[in-house]
Amino acid sequence: MILQFFVLSQRGDNIVYRDYRGEAQKGSAETFFRKVKFWKEDAEGDAPPVFVDGVNYFHVKVAGLLFVATTRVNVSPSLVLELLQRIARVIKDYLGVLNEDSFRKNFVLVYELLDEVIDFGYVQTTSTEVLKSYVFNEPIVIDAARMPPLGPASIFMQGSKRMPGTAITKSVVANEPGGRKRDEIFVDVIEKISVTFNSSGFILTSEIDGTIQMKSYLTGNPEIRLALNEDLSIGTSDYRGSGAVILDDCNFHESVHLDSFDVDRTLSLVPPDGEFPVMNYRMTQPFKPPFRINALIEETGSLKAEVTIKVRAEFNSSVNANSVLIQMPLPSFTARVNFELEPGAVGHTTDFKEANKRLEWGLKKVVGGSEHTLRAKLTFSQELHGNIMKEAGPVKYLQIAKTSKTQNPYRWVRYVTQANSYVARL
Amino acid sequence: MSRNDSKYFSTTKKGEIPELKEELNSQHGMRISLLYFHVLQDKRKDAVKKVIAAMTVGKDVSSLFTDVVNCMQTENLELKKLVYLYLINYAKSQPDLAILAVNTFVKDSQDPNPLIRALAVRTMGCIRVDKITEYLCDPLQRCLKDDDPYVRKTAAICVAKLYDINAELVEDRGFLDSLKDLISDNNPMVVANAVAALAEIQESSSRPIFEITSNILAKLLTALNECTEWGQVFILDALSRYKAADAREAENIVERVTPRLQHANCAVVLSAVKMILQQMELIISTDVVRNLCKKMAPPLVTLLSAEPEIQYVALRNINLIVQRRPTILAHEIKVFFCKYNDPIYVKMEKLEIMIKLASDRNIDQASFTFFQIAALSFAYPFNIVEHFFVLLEFKEYATEVDVEFVRKAVRAIGRCAIKLERAAERCISVLLELIKIKVNYVVQEAIIVIKDIFRRYPNTYESIIATLCESLDTLDEPEAKASMIWIIGEYAERIDNADELLESFLESFPEEPAQVQLQLLTATVKLFLKKPTEGPQQMIQVVLNNATVETDNPDLRDRAYIYWRLLSTDPEAAKDVVLAEKPVITDDSNQLDPSLLDELLVNIATVSSVYHKPPDAFVTRTLSSAQKTEDDDYPEGSEIGYSESPANPANGFTSPPSASFTARASVAPASPPPTPPVPDLLGDLMGTDNGSIVPVDQPATPTGPPLPIVLLASTGQGLQISAQLTRQDGQIFYSMLFENNTQVPLDGFMIQFNKNTFGLAAAGTLQVPQVQPGTSVRTLLPMVMFQNMSQGPPSSVLQVAVKNSQQPVWYFNDKISFHVFFTEDGRMERPTFLETWRSLPDSNEVSRDFPGIVIGSVDATLDRLAAANVFFIAKRKNANQDVFYLSAKIPRGIPLLIELTTVVGSPGVKCAIKTPSSELSPFFFEAIETLLRS
Repeated sequence: MILQFFVLSQRGDNIVYRDYRGEAQKGSAETFFRKVKFWKEDAEGDAPPVFVDGVNYFHVKVAGLLFVATTRVNVSPSLVLELLQRIARVIKDYLGVLNEDSFRKNFVLVYELLDEVIDFGYVQTTSTEVLKSYVFNEPIVIDAARMPPLGPASIFMQGSKRMPGTAITKSVVANEPGGRKRDEIFVDVIEKISVTFNSSGFILTSEIDGTIQMKSYLTGNPEIRLALNEDLSIGTSDYRGSGAVILDDCNFHESVHLDSFDVDRTLSLVPPDGEFPVMNYRMTQPFKPPFRINALIEETGSLKAEVTIKVRAEFNSSVNANSVLIQMPLPSFTARVNFELEPGAVGHTTDFKEANKRLEWGLKKVVGGSEHTLRAKLTFSQELHGNIMKEAGPVKYLQIAKTSKTQNPYRWVRYVTQANSYVARL
Repeated sequence: MSRNDSKYFSTTKKGEIPELKEELNSQHGMRISLLYFHVLQDKRKDAVKKVIAAMTVGKDVSSLFTDVVNCMQTENLELKKLVYLYLINYAKSQPDLAILAVNTFVKDSQDPNPLIRALAVRTMGCIRVDKITEYLCDPLQRCLKDDDPYVRKTAAICVAKLYDINAELVEDRGFLDSLKDLISDNNPMVVANAVAALAEIQESSSRPIFEITSNILAKLLTALNECTEWGQVFILDALSRYKAADAREAENIVERVTPRLQHANCAVVLSAVKMILQQMELIISTDVVRNLCKKMAPPLVTLLSAEPEIQYVALRNINLIVQRRPTILAHEIKVFFCKYNDPIYVKMEKLEIMIKLASDRNIDQASFTFFQIAALSFAYPFNIVEHFFVLLEFKEYATEVDVEFVRKAVRAIGRCAIKLERAAERCISVLLELIKIKVNYVVQEAIIVIKDIFRRYPNTYESIIATLCESLDTLDEPEAKASMIWIIGEYAERIDNADELLESFLESFPEEPAQVQLQLLTATVKLFLKKPTEGPQQMIQVVLNNATVETDNPDLRDRAYIYWRLLSTDPEAAKDVVLAEKPVITDDSNQLDPSLLDELLVNIATVSSVYHKPPDAFVTRTLSSAQKTEDDDYPEGSEIGYSESPANPANGFTSPPSASFTARASVAPASPPPTPPVPDLLGDLMGTDNGSIVPVDQPATPTGPPLPIVLLASTGQGLQISAQLTRQDGQIFYSMLFENNTQVPLDGFMIQFNKNTFGLAAAGTLQVPQVQPGTSVRTLLPMVMFQNMSQGPPSSVLQVAVKNSQQPVWYFNDKISFHVFFTEDGRMERPTFLETWRSLPDSNEVSRDFPGIVIGSVDATLDRLAAANVFFIAKRKNANQDVFYLSAKIPRGIPLLIELTTVVGSPGVKCAIKTPSSELSPFFFEAIETLLRS
């Protein structure tokens, strides 16, 4: 089973180290770090999660930290990887924020947690709720506001389920400075969209990966009912009424009772403490993509070309998309790029990344229904032969639909949509 | 509370250890008021925290052992846990002091607070000190029957801990039975831990300890529904060993397990998939199987929405699953399309699966007729709307940025062309489009795959050669260049200017890598044979000159000589050889061997399925269990050594017939039959798990010529060993001489051989009686081949370990003298020899010069060679030189053809050999050289 667990900083420092079976070799953390670090000389590619070196190493990256487990036997790798994610989540539940500083300040608590989570290499529990009755140290919460908003760690947050700034940085066990805990429950509906347009603008593939995340601070752990869309159906059934939502597949957290799910699409659950996904779902049903992107390329001289990128937000004008970033790879012999924004554009940034020859266009805020254009004049250092230009735009956006608030307890429901892989081909 | 643990990391000016000592001890012996007590306790806690902090950053705080243990007797759980953490870390280095803690442990194990009871047992199990272990048994016994489930589940794991330290104790005290009782516990957490503990114990034991009966199966299936997610994985993995009695039972099991597919935890899903796949093998009803496949597809696809690390694991598993059951995901190829932000390792795996799932149905739009599309649209209403086509997707990837990925995508197109005949034409046109983009590495990769397509569909697509030739001058990678040159040579008759094209390469011939030179040589010969005109004739002169005189590459030179000889003696024969029809290839790249696939499918959802290697290829057995075996004094019935590692590793050799074995037995009927090998410490040290340790029981007669010394008396503390491999009566022996220069008699000799290239291992017992001081004993140890083959490049090193009852284990390296492998049946008739020579490819011929060797008397030399099973076949005269042809054979009927060229009486012998196992050539040369010299 699991031999060791350790957490390494980006520099390879041992932040936490626990040997569960008393048979680990010395320096395995170092061996591991060297392997990950020098996986590929060009540093672009991440190391795959498992590799062998007498001991097998598994690792995940959470908030810029490397969570690593080692084993000598033929374990279930998905168990170990899932466990590493859960350990990170439990520690985050306890500490409020996950970073090197909070680890160092709370190392005794972390060790206490690790001893309850794993015994002799066997997972015991990863439920924050259950752990509360065995763990006695109290967290020293570090002030989230004092954290640098975009530390070096934030670059690793890309693609993770939680976005920087949106995570709730509050410990589930620590008391509020004001004394009494506030009754609150946070529900995030996070949807990650993947869309691929072909060169003529048709949708080749589209997919939504959704998660309903819940984080409860309710006292007394009351039962909660969550109502989903009534026209929801699962699997490719024949039922296709208008407005029906067809999920390809979904799964639920173990605390969820599905007794009335088949009748009226409601879930009932007693939310355990800590953050957890109530439900994951996946759908490939066609939907209207939020953005349309058009790009036009013209050769304007022997060593010159002009690119016009148009992006149109095809959603309701009451919704805004934030931090949209459009990237476009340019030919490797591009020497210079001049940008020309539309008049009156606010909050746009343009950049030509020399190192990986990429054009980047950032839009801080896009209002639904609006359209924006960017013109870029490219200068080449060499004759353009062939045409390998294409556009890959990861459009990262976030829309906050509503924050409903009733008297007591506070219910915070938030709809977040993120781009997973949003690509328009040319 | 606004404490801040990080302050514990700060150092003070005064020596840190003395200061901590002071803090830990300050309160002892003081009379204190109750109020003050809490303050003090906090202070102690702080001090211990500082100690732990120092410990975690790697400082040695073991000198504080007594002081920390003194803080152990406390009701404060927080402090107690800290002390225990310290104890686990340092008890091993301070075993005598650790005993101080025993009393508190035993007391704690009876504490009214279940958390303290559990903590005591958990911690004691982690302290691997014998004195503590002795005291663990009673508390453990109690805790296994505790009222509190938290204590019981901790005790269950503790049994596994104890088994790891002292297996005998666990069996003697009946803990295994208590553990089995816990399978029926009413708390699912306890059940899960009992299952995990039993599974681990079974893993390290040779006896059946944890057998899953239908009764246990029923209990576990019930517990499955109530367990935590992790417990579900333990139970599912344990149950996957269960072999259902019939299809009916298998269906029942599957029905109970299927709901697990809906779990949010990926590990549960994969373990459930594994279980279902295994039971499916028994299910006969195609309807049930189809239905199960349908149920498994969505959860498997959902795994691809998880974190990239888990996606990777899922993809590696899916790769295996689709090789066995392609229907499961046949309609889901689209979900494997790469996403923009997938890490490269995920993209590569997706590509591999896409190739596996590519079929005539999804590869390309153009391969459908209108009616087929219409028919499909009824069957798959969604798919047809979207027109997803793998080929277009590959083409898209081929224009991405990441070079490795692009290359793989281009290769993928080629592999699809080879796999799907109907799509080949479209694939080729896509490849041509890509070539036109003129991105260097795309072009080169495309040419490499097109060469394979030509091999797969001969005389079909040669019309595109002209287009390929346009990119000729941009090629700079050896493999692409070689492929292009191969194409030009193969189709020289269809390319008008083939001679010009090849000529352009000739200028740089000396600088080209070997791979390209070899292709150039062959292509030029082909060109000459096809168009025997003046131009090619001149070219061939240049090439042959370059490849023989100017090169130092023996492969190239030998091939050139063969061509030269062929062309000069019989051009028609040369045509038959060089322009022979080639076998058509298929796409079997990245297809696993069926037996390996079977093994890997059993190991779905384990590390093995990620590496695509069988578990014993990377799981090393732990020392502790091996130690036990040795302590047991080689018990009987330890056939486990055989069952744990298949005697025949992936190379597909079967074990040799026992003929040699019986032959030897009849020669020496006195010796007892060989005992099965026993796994042992010795074996583990040497990285083998299937060696033959053979106890000594009978004396052997010391005779024969002197042997080379392999272990000097100075190294072996007075024991000197000389040894050599010999061949007698068709059997290989290890001839050994033991000289005892110590003061004491030595006995109990055992020997073991490490894995080696030829799989040499002892076939019988090492027969060495007690060796008195000052005497020596000589013995012959019969050997067998192909027992324990090592992987990797061939090597003649034989690593040997010898052990006796008085001394430590001695290791030495011996060199395998290869000629002992030459078998008695190596004689060949002339026609057979000629036929064999012709049937082997030119690349298998290698030659070497032995400048120092003089053959004085031909007859004596030939006799000597014949005695070593190298047989003379023919002789011819070439100017003043004599050319001898000889043959030999090594086990498994691998022939060795030898040509010796020399001037009798003067120094210098040129030896050319040809054998199917050309990787062994260096050994053959060595053996021949030895034989010629002796």
